[in-house]
Amino acid sequence: MVCSDSISAAPESLHPSLWRASQLARSSNRCVDTGHAALSAQLPGGGWPTGVLVDLLLQQPGIGEMRLLRSALAEVAARRIVLLQPPHPPQALALAALGVPPSQLIWLRTSRTADALWAAEQVLRSGSCGALLFWQNQVRSDSLRRLHLAAQGGETLFFMMRPLAAGQDASPAPLRLALRPKAGGIEIDFVKRRGPQRDAPLFLPLSSNFTYTHRHAPVDRPVTAPVAARGIQPQLVH
Amino acid sequence: MLEQERVLAVSDAARAAGVQPGMRRGGVLMLLPDAQVHERSPQREAEALYAVAMAMLQYTPQVTEAEEATLLMDVGASLRLFGGVLSLCRRVRANVRALGFTASLGCAPTARGAWLLARARQTGGRTVKMPSLVRRLDLLEVLLAPPARPFAAWFEGIGCISFGELRRLPRPGLQRRCGRALLDLVDAAYGLSPELYEWIAAPDTFSARLELFDRIDDAELLLAGARRLLLQLTGWLCARQLAVERIVLRLEHERGREARAPTCVEVALAEPAWRDEHLVRLLKERLAKLTLDAPVIGLGLEAKQLQPMAPPNESLFPEPGGTEEDRMRMLELLVARLGADNVLQALPMADYRPEQANAWVPVQQKVSERARNAQMPPDVMSLPRPTWLLAKPIALLMRDHRPFYGSPLRMASNPERIEAGWWNGPETRDYFIAEGQDHALYWVYRERIGADEEEPRWYLHGLFG
Repeated sequence: MVCSDSISAAPESLHPSLWRASQLARSSNRCVDTGHAALSAQLPGGGWPTGVLVDLLLQQPGIGEMRLLRSALAEVAARRIVLLQPPHPPQALALAALGVPPSQLIWLRTSRTADALWAAEQVLRSGSCGALLFWQNQVRSDSLRRLHLAAQGGETLFFMMRPLAAGQDASPAPLRLALRPKAGGIEIDFVKRRGPQRDAPLFLPLSSNFTYTHRHAPVDRPVTAPVAARGIQPQLVH
Repeated sequence: MLEQERVLAVSDAARAAGVQPGMRRGGVLMLLPDAQVHERSPQREAEALYAVAMAMLQYTPQVTEAEEATLLMDVGASLRLFGGVLSLCRRVRANVRALGFTASLGCAPTARGAWLLARARQTGGRTVKMPSLVRRLDLLEVLLAPPARPFAAWFEGIGCISFGELRRLPRPGLQRRCGRALLDLVDAAYGLSPELYEWIAAPDTFSARLELFDRIDDAELLLAGARRLLLQLTGWLCARQLAVERIVLRLEHERGREARAPTCVEVALAEPAWRDEHLVRLLKERLAKLTLDAPVIGLGLEAKQLQPMAPPNESLFPEPGGTEEDRMRMLELLVARLGADNVLQALPMADYRPEQANAWVPVQQKVSERARNAQMPPDVMSLPRPTWLLAKPIALLMRDHRPFYGSPLRMASNPERIEAGWWNGPETRDYFIAEGQDHALYWVYRERIGADEEEPRWYLHGLFG
């Protein structure tokens, strides 16, 4: 069959939304560069997709998730960046050091889950914000679908920060990444993406923008030395 | 509805039960013992008509009340703005329905012709061309015209039923028998003589009141009432070319044993507005949050602060993500539901103490860019600060003389000594960046202690996101 031959030859040339299981899909949405070449190469469209729900599953808050997103956030910082229900009060100076000017930050606090979901939907529907970062532990899947639909109406970068355990549940998000801290960087598991299954996690070195290296030779060894029971600990002396 | 103890108008349910116009009160109550019988109130009818007229002012400044509870609007100049006759009629009909009334619309090149079409209650009584209006009017009954009604028997006697037949009668004879008024009306309807009306002038200040038909303690129903008032406000604002900055919705409570002051819901807008969709959304959120301590029997709306309406500022290439007004509207909506204290913007303070430096203020507070920049450190990169600052530092356990948080913490940086604030809340701390065994980075500090304490105390104060 000529027809089937031509289809098997190049399905991706027939329609933009077709791809082989061994290929990465091409994204129809505008993508924002991640700032990490190794990560961009693994994402469909070569960056964080705008206008869709992106699930980030965190082992715990404060493992380098904002440093991972820094260049994307800096790129969309011409418009407002909304932090909805962050786990702790955000520090504007630190975000300024990551490239997000404090004038563009909006911090929303809510007391009820329903309010938080409503606020997220309003932000997405208005489409006037560059990015929405939404921390929520328990979300029902119909709420997720609703937010995903709302996100499709605009070009807002929309990240949902959820605990690692949420990776077991189904989600309408086309991109789901699990993040774990590693020495000097972060380890990314591709839970779901439009592309081939990747089992090996991707290690991404995250440079801190500040220098906290020792000016003197470190006394501290990476290997925990057996603690000697005398006087002051060598680990505490710098 | 009764007028002089005779039934004037009946609801569908009553008609199904056999109530007919012209019956007496006793007859109605015999057929329907639990019927609601209302006396006709000309004053309330006039108020209702005036309310509709106010709402209609948003389509044209030329609105006037005509006889038999009709409104005449000159929409000739508004057709293009509202997208043609059909779409304008649809909007008018929707608005009248939102106000809680039903209307029959007529649309014609002459005002009197439109009046006749509307009174004839023909569905789709719309014409835009003079010949088709003449054709339609010729078919209408003569008795629609109020001046013709005293002569109903005479018209029937000579077999003159429609306007077409009336126009074939000799004019001098008709004028002698029926008077000048009928001829004037026919001439005006057919466009043979000019029409003059005194248009309604919008009052200088806006305040509208609505008496609710029942005692209401549900926010949704209140919103329906508030919508009616907002529609009137929209019409008034358009007529006066004003935009509103602050509106007050007054919820009047029943006067019980003690007089209860009305509850006021105040909505302040960052950007003056004159369209009602945004106001309706804001009021909806505000009313949903409101807890009523008594049922509401009346609503009042006042426009407090007014501004001249700014002409819409359209750019040739619309920005993606909407305009600054869209952004303001979204924030206003969020503030209306979440409260002003929960929608915050960053206003970093020039202070060494991290808690004081990390200040967040409500988003509606006006902060100039210069004031914000003046408080920023010259080089933000020089300060190692964590993304998440714990609201309250957590005292860390000590294991083997090391601070412990899930795992033993290893200091990964030089100390940063912060010692400030002797005037309020002094802090003397040495901050370190610490790394746990899971390689997460923490911001911890050691309280600098006096000589009398033996153990240094460690606290966790931030997480590096």
